[in-house]
Amino acid sequence: MLTIKNLHAAVDGKEILKGLDLQVPEGEVHAVMGPNGSGKSTLAHVLAGRPGYSITAGTVLFKGRDLLALSPEERAREGVFLGFQYPVEIPGVNNVYLLKAAVNAARKHRGLPEVDAFEFLTLVREKMRLMRMDESMLSRGVNEGFSGGEKKRNEILQMLVLEPALALLDETDSGLDIDALKVVANGVNTLRAPNRSMVLVTHYQRLLEHIVPDRVHVLVKGRIVRSGDRTLAHELERRGYDWLLGEAA
Amino acid sequence: MSAALLTRLQEEYGAVHAALPESVTAAKRRREAIETLCAQGLPATREENWRYTNLRVLERARFSPVEDPAGTLPVLPEPLEGFARYVFLDGQLRSSAAAPRGVTVCSLRSQGAAGAGWEFGAQLPEARLALLNEAFATDAIAIEVPADAEPCGIELVFVAATAAQQGASYPRVRLALQSGARLSVVERHIGLADSASLVNSAVRVELAANAHLTHYRLQHCGARAVWFDTLAAQLAAEAHYELLAVSTGALTARSSVHARLAGAGAQFTLSAAALGEGAQSQDMYALSEHLAVRTRTAETFRGIASGRSRVAFNGKIAVRQSARGTDSRQSLRGLLDGPEAEIDLRPQLEIYTDEVRCSHGATAGKLDENMLFYLLSRGLAPEVAEHLLKWAFLEDVIARIGLADLRRQIERGLAGQLSEAATLQELL
Ligand SMILES: Nc1ncnc2c1ncn2[C@@H]1O[C@H](COP(=O)(O)OP(=O)(O)OP(=O)(O)O)[C@@H](O)[C@H]1O
Ligand SMILES: [Mg+2]
Repeated sequence: MLTIKNLHAAVDGKEILKGLDLQVPEGEVHAVMGPNGSGKSTLAHVLAGRPGYSITAGTVLFKGRDLLALSPEERAREGVFLGFQYPVEIPGVNNVYLLKAAVNAARKHRGLPEVDAFEFLTLVREKMRLMRMDESMLSRGVNEGFSGGEKKRNEILQMLVLEPALALLDETDSGLDIDALKVVANGVNTLRAPNRSMVLVTHYQRLLEHIVPDRVHVLVKGRIVRSGDRTLAHELERRGYDWLLGEAA
Repeated sequence: MSAALLTRLQEEYGAVHAALPESVTAAKRRREAIETLCAQGLPATREENWRYTNLRVLERARFSPVEDPAGTLPVLPEPLEGFARYVFLDGQLRSSAAAPRGVTVCSLRSQGAAGAGWEFGAQLPEARLALLNEAFATDAIAIEVPADAEPCGIELVFVAATAAQQGASYPRVRLALQSGARLSVVERHIGLADSASLVNSAVRVELAANAHLTHYRLQHCGARAVWFDTLAAQLAAEAHYELLAVSTGALTARSSVHARLAGAGAQFTLSAAALGEGAQSQDMYALSEHLAVRTRTAETFRGIASGRSRVAFNGKIAVRQSARGTDSRQSLRGLLDGPEAEIDLRPQLEIYTDEVRCSHGATAGKLDENMLFYLLSRGLAPEVAEHLLKWAFLEDVIARIGLADLRRQIERGLAGQLSEAATLQELL
């Protein structure tokens, strides 16, 4: 699904990703952990096509295609979804408009007709129940006045409605209370499928108790310095990152 | 503004004044208007309050009015239910409806007795263009609502058809509400798509105690038109004047508004949106003058400048000594779309008394990149994402349009203006 080789990315002349390698096969869920400032969000943004980063070396293949050659909206329509660490508030743009526009953009891309308004609302309502979100949120501005936890749930709601091939969830667990964490994890788990891959960026082992990853990677100073199975997360929880810092040099 | 222009103005006036209707404005009053104007001079770009108006267009225009508007009317907007519609072509009444019960609607050109005209009222420091209107007006519409009349609606549609080289049009309106009266007015200025017309309107609003006027003003003149406008409102105690202005048309549009809050507790709500694209300039000057206790002003402006356009809003709030307990709010925001676009927002406060609450904010900026990327990351095309954000930006003003049918018309118009593709419309 996703193959990253020797990725170097800089922002404002400062190199953040310094030769990153990562492979996420189809159907797998991978966790990326790492200290603050190590480049996790940068990786997620670069994959989603955020402007402002210069890719100085490396390749990224998504379903065998050169992902970096696509515009952000093309990536989204091809099935890349970024769940933001800090979801943006857009007052005046209605939540449900955005959802519908996003769905229709992807459908148009695949040569499908626009979604039926009634079916769409039925689907959205169902997913909202799953996310334990109040329906009144649909008619509000995108994330406008949402609490931190509500914003994260809204990200997952969008993911559930869009059903991406590759989901990049950047600290979707941070800011969630214990119940909300379960709701979000449950939402993510319902989307696990053989033809879908996920990358979870997280600081906490706790999320990984609910969403069991196939692989865990440690990102330090712009590179993946260690990969392992889920037990690596436990080890990180116990030992912190210090013992790995040397390996990033 | 050159002396040559004033000379031409006087010559043109000399040539046509004998034929101008006495019932609209008395000859003596017209002459005084011209004399005052010549003494004061026409507004010039070097003046602080006119910096953003393209006044050079006057050099190529004829001041004299279109005398016999010929042309055919374009397709008019859908009528609004419950509104009596009056249509004007190049400033003169073309078709009228039955006036709402109890309300007097009078076209002074055809129905006015000699001396029925009114003075614009020259207190407004920026009323010079209204003097020009006073001197040349060929028709005027007087609307009077008696005390405690049933709430009702009137729509005025001003169509500009003739090119400026042939003559100008001078819409002239008076809205007078007696105490406790309520009225909604929709005032539209439209034009033939390609006509480079010169429109110079003058509107006078008088609200007696407790009267409530909701006034929608939509300026959608043709892309080559020049639209000048002066509006003066006088508010008695507890009167409420709600003005909603949307300006998207004309090559050069300038509106000067002066609200005098003369009675205790009078309230002025101004919500304005302006859209500039190409080489357009959209300029609005609003002076809210607080003269009595507990008077209130709430001003909201949202402007978007694209291309090489300029959008300006100069909002001045003056609180006189007699106006203790005044409350005024200003929220001015501009959106710059493109490196050559220009926005100028000027909130001004002039306070001569204590015990006032004034808050104002003015910000101009570009589309928020985080918002834009968020929308792109959901698969929206860049054009659609931009239009959605612009739309959202105007929402603070558009949402205040209480008349659902009218709001839909405006939304459709704006959607068309904001996007070449119909995508946005489909979304809504
Ligand atoms: N515009 C920028 N200019 C300079 N440095 C930047 C810029 N944007 C990000 N950085 C730096 O890049 C580094 C990586 O940031 P990134 O947000 O990817 O970290 P992260 O691993 O997601 O951290 P966290 O766990 O705190 O979310 C940080 O040191 C950050 O300060
Ligand atoms: Mg981060």
